[in-house]
Formats: sequence, C-alpha cells, structure tokens
Amino acid sequence: MGTISSAFSLISGALDADQSALSVVSNNVANANTPGYTQEMPNWRENNPVSINGIQYGTGVSQTGATSVRDRILAERLNQQQQSAAASGTRLSALNAIQTLFTPDSGSTGSGAGDIGSDITGFFNSFSALEANPTNDALRQQVLSTATTLAGDISNAANMVNSQRAALDQEAAGVVAQVNALTAAIAQLNGQIQSTSPDKDAGVLEDQRQQDLSKLSQLIGINQITTENNGLSITTTSGQTLVSENSDSPMTTGLVNGVTHFFVGTVDITSDLSAGGGSLGGYLTARDQDIPQVLNSLDELAYGIATAVNTQNNAGTNLNGVGGTGVNPANPSLDIFNAPAAVAGSAVAMSVVMTDPNNIAAAGPAAGSGDNSNAVAMAGLGDSGIVNGGSPSNFFSNFVTMLGATVAQVQTENTAQNASVTQLQNQNNALSAVNLNDEAVAMQQLERSYQAASQVFAILNTIMASALNMGVQTAVS
Amino acid sequence: MLVNCGHRINPELRELVVEASLALARLDAERLEELALACRALNRDFAGMGGDGRGELRRQAHDASREMDIFGRVLNATRANLEVMNRVRERRRGGLEYPAWRSTGWAPWPLTEKCDGND
Repeated sequence: MGTISSAFSLISGALDADQSALSVVSNNVANANTPGYTQEMPNWRENNPVSINGIQYGTGVSQTGATSVRDRILAERLNQQQQSAAASGTRLSALNAIQTLFTPDSGSTGSGAGDIGSDITGFFNSFSALEANPTNDALRQQVLSTATTLAGDISNAANMVNSQRAALDQEAAGVVAQVNALTAAIAQLNGQIQSTSPDKDAGVLEDQRQQDLSKLSQLIGINQITTENNGLSITTTSGQTLVSENSDSPMTTGLVNGVTHFFVGTVDITSDLSAGGGSLGGYLTARDQDIPQVLNSLDELAYGIATAVNTQNNAGTNLNGVGGTGVNPANPSLDIFNAPAAVAGSAVAMSVVMTDPNNIAAAGPAAGSGDNSNAVAMAGLGDSGIVNGGSPSNFFSNFVTMLGATVAQVQTENTAQNASVTQLQNQNNALSAVNLNDEAVAMQQLERSYQAASQVFAILNTIMASALNMGVQTAVS
Repeated sequence: MLVNCGHRINPELRELVVEASLALARLDAERLEELALACRALNRDFAGMGGDGRGELRRQAHDASREMDIFGRVLNATRANLEVMNRVRERRRGGLEYPAWRSTGWAPWPLTEKCDGND
C-alpha cells in the first residue's frame, strides 16, 4: 500500500467515524425524553496497522456501532431494592388498614374493634355493679347487654380482618396475570436480543427488557442469570425458573384450604413468593403471617374470656336458686357466651347465648339469691390471668401495642428502602439515561453525601445515646 | 440554623434527623455538609448545657429515636449503593484503559525493531 493512499485512508476513516459518532449523539438527544432509553456510546475500533518497509503504522479508527451505557450490576441492585420496597410498601398498606380497625373512636369501620378495650372494662364493671344489688333485674340486664357488645365487637373485628384477608388474597391472585405477561415479554425479548448479540449491542431491545425486569421486580422477588449471547434466565428467589432464555413458565393459581396458592407447573411456590419480595411478597406476608397473628390474638382473647366467664357462672347459683354445671353436672348449663370448642375460630363465633338474666349466677354455690360472692368472683376475672396468662385488658392492650410496633417497624423499613431506591435511580439516571451529567460527578455526589451523612449520624447518635442512657455526657469528644 | 435558645433546641432533633434522611435519600451533599456543621455546633452547645437543657434533650432524643433508626438504615443502604457504584466504576475503568488489547490481543504500537536509537 502506498504511503499517500494509506494516509488518505486514515484521514477519511477518521472523518467517517466522527460522522457516525455524531449520529449516535443525535440519536441520544432525540430520545432524551423516551422513558427507559439508555444513552448510546460509539464503539471505536483501531484499524489493522499497515507495514511499510518493515515498519508498522497505525491506520486510525473506525466506528463499529453503538453500545448502550448500561450496567447490569447497578440495574440488578436497583431491581433488588425495588423488590424490597414494593414488598414492605404493600405489607405496610395492609397493616395500616388493620391498625385502623383497632384504633379507638376511629368511627370509620363500624366493626367496633377499636372499642374492644372499653368493652372489656364495661363488661367486668357490670359484675362489680351487680355485687351491690345482686337481685336487681336492670343490673342483670346490664351484664347481658355489655356481654353482647363485647362479643359482637370481637366477632365483628374478626370478620373484618377475615374480609381484609380475602381482599389481599384476591389482589395477590391478580398479580399473576401481570407476572405472566412480563415473563412472556422478557422471553420474547431474550430471543430477539440473542439473535442480535454478540455482534452488536441490542440497544432498544435491552432497554425494553430492563424496563420489564424493573416492573417484574416490583411484583415478585426474582434472581437473574445472564446466559449465552446476552440472554437471561429468571428464577424466583428460591430458584424456580420463570424464564429460561426465550421460553417462559407461566405461574398458575389454585385454592388450597380456601386461600390462593401459586404454582409453576406442579410446584407450589407460595411460601417462596412470600419471602421473596415485590408486591406479591407483601400481599402474601400480610395474608399468611400478619393477619393470622391478629386473628390468633382475637381468638385467644375470645376463648379466654368466654371459657373463664362460663366456668365461673356455672360455679354459682342463679336467681332461681339453681346451681350451674360446676355445682352439679346434671344441671342445665349457665353459659353466658357460646362455649368455644377450641381457640381457633373463637373470635368469629363469639356470641351471647344466655337470654334470661335470671341465669346470671351472682350467688355462690348453695347460697341464697341475695348472695353476691360469685358476682365478686366474676368481676375479679377482669384482673385475672385468664387470657394466655394475662388479664383481658392487658392482653388486648399488649396486642394493640404489638400491632403498632409492627406497623412502625415496617414503616421504617419501607422509608429506608424507598430512600435507597431513590438514590439508585438518581445514579442510574446519571449513568445510563441521556443527560449531560458526567458519571464522575454522580459518583462524587454519592461519596460526598455518604461521608457528610456519616458525620451527621455519628454526632447525633452519640448525642442521643448519651442523653438517653446517661443524661449527662453529651458532647462528642 | 440550629440554635440552642436557653433550654429550647430549635429545631427539634427529630426534624433534624428527618431532614438528614431526606437529604441523604436525594444525595444532597451540600445540605448534608451544612447539617454536619450544624451538628458539630450543636454538640459544642450541649457540652455546656445545664440540667434543664439535658432533660429537654433527653425528651427530644426519645422522640427522635425512630427517625434515627430510619436514618441508620438509609445510611447502610447508601453504603451498599456506594459499594455497587464503586464496582461499576472499577469495571468501567478497566474497560476504558485496555479495550483493544484485551479484545484483540493486538498491541497498538508493536516494536518490530530496536527503537533505542542505537541501531
């Protein structure tokens, strides 16, 4: 090759490459406002050198196409954080709805769940009132009236919680159609990307796949495995395959013991999804963990009160001088509440079965109708450890406190996770989306922010720890 | 600006912690650096604070404890994000510095003869 023609080729190649690069830049600018579009950078390749009189000379560069500026490590981290944030956000919504039920004087639910605490007090106080005048009919009616209010509010609360569980079940089932649509789309994109790569960057197709992965991450917890030729396999967090390159395995649903379970093929992946993340993980955590705990507490409360009160009333003598089954097993039952057979289901089934107020056994065994010793014992149940070792009021108070603590904890998690997602999105935008910010500037901002925040945290933490623990030493040395 | 007006700390610690969390979430380095300076000043003020002031501080610390928990979690998440970004940057640096040699095995300036000026 002659020297002049080589030089000309070198110059014209450089001009061509510049022109191609300008096209890439103009494409970036044109797509600046396209959601999910990833900035493309021109690929430069050094041309093969030429040998002239035994000496090799470079022949410039050619532009071989464009590669989108994306990073899968960052994208995966963002997806993981979105999974966590979506799960805690969904769970938080469900917990907030339950907490609202148990808020006193909320006045919005009609369930009366918020009044259970005062119902308990009112019921046992009605026995205290009866102590003073055990034959008074109005006071006896008051006992049955407060019992009816208490049983009705506990039963309604349990029914409302069950309704919320059913609603969550439906919402969880509704997620499956979205998941299947996304996994099918990703499988199709995988096929297209694999037929394009590795010769060139799949550009827009990869953008679309990344957007679908982001949406999928907000629905369920997933793991991604990069395969040959830029393909992708997706599994649940426990490893159940949802997408294998260009084929997808749709999820199906079925009822197991009255609730929706989730399957891939014949494998039940419900518990995996619950722990995995995404909004489906949040729905399932609320449905299968939080709500059962709430219902169990209500069942324990109902079982404890009904069993202890019935037993005590059957140990006394009614206004007609008849003792209950505790006095003589052959006698008719003097149960006030529907007798629960087991703890489970006690709250929903709680009701007052006694209709005749004369059957309230205010008197002790074999005592006259004017006796109040059993009414005293009944009133004393309000302060006794009849519900899982605690008094009814304390048990309910602890339950509400624990529910509030759980809500606060999930709120804390959700706030922090959303903050992390915000950070990552900012970084991802600086790195991947079309704007004029440089990657180095974004990194510097992240590092500066972290360092400054670490200082703020360290100082505040020391001040607060000193104030809370000792109350004297406050200054950071 | 944080001012210790007698026994009153203005603004409340809780508001300070919330603002720090929000600033960290949006990576507002400038605001965080301002807050760091303010915290140092606050710390100096507390060193000479009397018993009433400490009691007030204890109350505010108690009120802010949950927000502090959130701030700690955001800080941990930021550390993890920073590690991810550092990995991304390192990988990119490696890719930028040695692309042609790595992909083709061809060195850009092969020395086919002695170039030390002594031949």
